[in-house]
Amino acid sequence: MSHDHPSIRVSVGASGPRTNDPTAPEEAGRASGPAFAPPVDIHDGPEGLTLEADLPGAAEDAMLVQLEDNVLSLSARIDSPAPEGARLIHQEFHVGEYQRSFILSDEVDRDRITAELKNGVLKVFLPRADRAKARRIEIKS
Amino acid sequence: MRGASWRGKWDPFEELQREVGRLFQSLDPFPSPRHVRLFPPVNLYAAGDDYILAAQLPGLAPEDVELTVTHESLTLRGDRKRADGVTDDAYRRQERVMGRWSRTIALPDRIDEARATAHFSNGVLTVRLPRAESARPRHIVVSSSS
Repeated sequence: MSHDHPSIRVSVGASGPRTNDPTAPEEAGRASGPAFAPPVDIHDGPEGLTLEADLPGAAEDAMLVQLEDNVLSLSARIDSPAPEGARLIHQEFHVGEYQRSFILSDEVDRDRITAELKNGVLKVFLPRADRAKARRIEIKS
Repeated sequence: MRGASWRGKWDPFEELQREVGRLFQSLDPFPSPRHVRLFPPVNLYAAGDDYILAAQLPGLAPEDVELTVTHESLTLRGDRKRADGVTDDAYRRQERVMGRWSRTIALPDRIDEARATAHFSNGVLTVRLPRAESARPRHIVVSSSS
């Protein structure tokens, strides 16, 4: 499989209060904009679904992939690419929080979800549960 | 074998996602980049005597990006390809901008292109463009004729 470098931990279950902000303390004081939804592609494969989200600027330690009940949520924090004190002259993107959630059906094998982050793209692989695969064969025959 | 037979039957993503997305968009005072369709989105900063240009290029590696700088403009060019071996009808959702792209950004001042440096990290390209000596404010001594 092409998912041989699962670098992101997919945490399962409730995380308690949202403290997915491992960034430097000085960032906390900065006015952070509202969360914005990253663009996402989802495609089918023989083993399951692959979800790819554009999260430019997100580093592994500022990225959280979480499965709580049947809700898969992605969140990441990006910091300004410019050094402190730099003056913004022209702006087309914003720094702050990426956030997006999806509901998964029972046909995803939740224990085998893997995620990797490379060049600012998060790839989440959602394997089809064996039970779902078996049922599908029945329908076909 | 797969295809129309089970298309629509296995749909792990239900409507909440759309609702959540809509909710976030409605709270978001800024237009989302996927509606702007400007690729790559670029921010320009001034830091001391330098300009800093940052471009969001997710999924691209340094070798995928061609960067050229003149004393007054900067051009970025590249090609963003979809995942190999995935056919169009396999997509359930396609929101990411793909394909060939190029952008030229006019800089607000002359820069010293020989001293420009670039750095790529986590899908963000950062280019440091030192302002040209001739573009910096110059102090002119006013002399009085004796």
